[in-house]
Amino acid sequence: MLCLVAILFPFISAIAILEGVKAQSELSVTEGADIFVTMDMFGRNGVIPIEMAAAMEQIDGVTKAVPRAVGRIYIGNKLAVLLGIEGDEKPPSVNFIKGSLPKAEEVVIGKGLAKHLGLDVGDKLNIGTRVVAFLEGEPYIIKKIFRVSGIFDSQSGIWASNLVLMDIYDAVSVFEMDDFATDISLHVRPGYDEAVSKSLQKMNPYFRIQTKGLVKTYIDRGFNMKGGVFAVLYVVAFALTIPAILVTSGFGLSERRKETGILKAAGWQTHEVLEMVFFENIMLALISAPAAFVLSFVWIKLFNAPFIAQIIIPGAESIAAFPVPSKFMPMPFVFSFFFALLLTMAGSIYSTWSAAVVSPVEAMK
Amino acid sequence: MITAGIRDQGLGVSEKELIRCEGVWKIYNEDRPHEVQALADVSLKITEGSFTILGGPSGSGKTTLLALLGTMDRPSRGKIFIGGKDITALSDTALASLRRGSIGFVFQNFNLIPRLSAWENVSAPIVPVESKEKDRRDRAVGLLQKFGLAERASHTPEELSGGEQQRVAIARALVNDPRIIILDEPTSNIDAEATAVLIDILNGLKAEGRTLLVSTHDQVLRPLADAVFELKRGRLSG
Ligand SMILES: Nc1ncnc2c1ncn2[C@@H]1O[C@H](COP(=O)(O)OP(=O)(O)O)[C@@H](O)[C@H]1O
Ligand SMILES: [Mg+2]
Repeated sequence: MLCLVAILFPFISAIAILEGVKAQSELSVTEGADIFVTMDMFGRNGVIPIEMAAAMEQIDGVTKAVPRAVGRIYIGNKLAVLLGIEGDEKPPSVNFIKGSLPKAEEVVIGKGLAKHLGLDVGDKLNIGTRVVAFLEGEPYIIKKIFRVSGIFDSQSGIWASNLVLMDIYDAVSVFEMDDFATDISLHVRPGYDEAVSKSLQKMNPYFRIQTKGLVKTYIDRGFNMKGGVFAVLYVVAFALTIPAILVTSGFGLSERRKETGILKAAGWQTHEVLEMVFFENIMLALISAPAAFVLSFVWIKLFNAPFIAQIIIPGAESIAAFPVPSKFMPMPFVFSFFFALLLTMAGSIYSTWSAAVVSPVEAMK
Repeated sequence: MITAGIRDQGLGVSEKELIRCEGVWKIYNEDRPHEVQALADVSLKITEGSFTILGGPSGSGKTTLLALLGTMDRPSRGKIFIGGKDITALSDTALASLRRGSIGFVFQNFNLIPRLSAWENVSAPIVPVESKEKDRRDRAVGLLQKFGLAERASHTPEELSGGEQQRVAIARALVNDPRIIILDEPTSNIDAEATAVLIDILNGLKAEGRTLLVSTHDQVLRPLADAVFELKRGRLSG
């Protein structure tokens, strides 16, 4: 049973965290803009001139065009995501708890990051932009000083711990992009998405038009990728554990055979032995699935998912501590029950059956 | 055919035949390498309520014959009748029913299930037929009590002495109240004191009118026997 719980626990935890991360990023994106425009650069997303925002705002159906700059930065030894915003265009899932929007040479940071750095409104913050050289093996990072103008909280614990807001022009200079933004996000009147996309394409065939947030891409790219990698690893692990279970239960194989023989010798019918094993397995699965579920719930909610979060959320250790997002869904639970059942059945039914259909003497040999 | 004489002990032992085998052979690994002829042309009759001893040196086929008479295995050739019914013609399901209803088997090494307590071992045979755990427990503990093991009811086999394990195994063999009790070399794994207790138990079972079939290669149980068969290299002699 412990064996089953040990197998189910990481599975349930991983799914819960992945679902949590997904829920948080969906939250951030669905509240945001409708269309994101970048320039094509050799098939990748390239920077786009900030001034194009004005022209885009003229397109029929576009209510607002907001240039944004987004990228990875260093704060101390932690990685963060810097989002340059224009005017009062803060992401909707970000709620101010203190201070005001960033003006020139100011930043707004999340609660988690502020706590990690021990910063408050009015404090100074060093932002490292990029590694320009290695001095005696140590990275030499260009740094700029900013004043913390505000602190925000977000339903997304990851955002609160790794997102830094800054005025778009400051961000552009941090990223050394001159007058370019990483994307221009468009707010579009309902139903106009397609028409706007067409107009944009006509306006400049080199526009790359996406309906998913670039910010989300930046923040979640790693997660999703790792999620995929994890899923693959897990499938592999499954494939390995099944034979492993079979082998370990193989150690109990002769015992099971013998026990079956003893019961048969005592007058049990073959179907009675099989029914008992089936029933035992169902009980085992019924106990271990919820046990694993409770264990991962406690592990994540109470202990913030040590070991597991690091595997699933890439770079979790390189951003400031944050409450690991999680979402417990019924499906993985049901699935773990059936998986547990499958494992126990695989480990016992055949050996029991093969012993139950022969004579007691044969089975007890 | 060799039929052992029944000593009438004045206990009203009926002469009714309960078990009969005719020309029974058992060949292990037949037509394969390491073929072993364990029994050859064995024919015998056992009367109801009798105490029969099956003697013979080790390897002579005692366990094999008991297993066949106890419906634990099928002969390679020959017929076995229990209560007039040819059991070699029965299906596995019918054999299991016969075992459950009429035969209690006490293995030489007792074959208790290590993970179960004494009372659970005793009640194991009736789990499929008696759904109430309390009733099973009562029946098992009742039997254990009869053998002075009431306080040991929740002990696991490894916490019990050889003699105690054997009594648990006997209790298990009795839990279905069978007509026939088969014990394979019951004196081989216990000490002298436990042997004395065993003799009492066997006498008690006989007094209850059960048919006892016991294999042994020592002499202590001989005085109890109504009939003695000797096996030698798979064949009955004298
Ligand atoms: N399952 C088996 N497979 C092959 N040979 C067996 C098996 N069981 C017993 N034998 C052989 O059959 C012969 C009789 O064994 P057994 O009935 O156990 O004798 P006893 O109980 O008198 O010592 C022995 O030679 C033994 O090695
Ligand atoms: Mg033997």
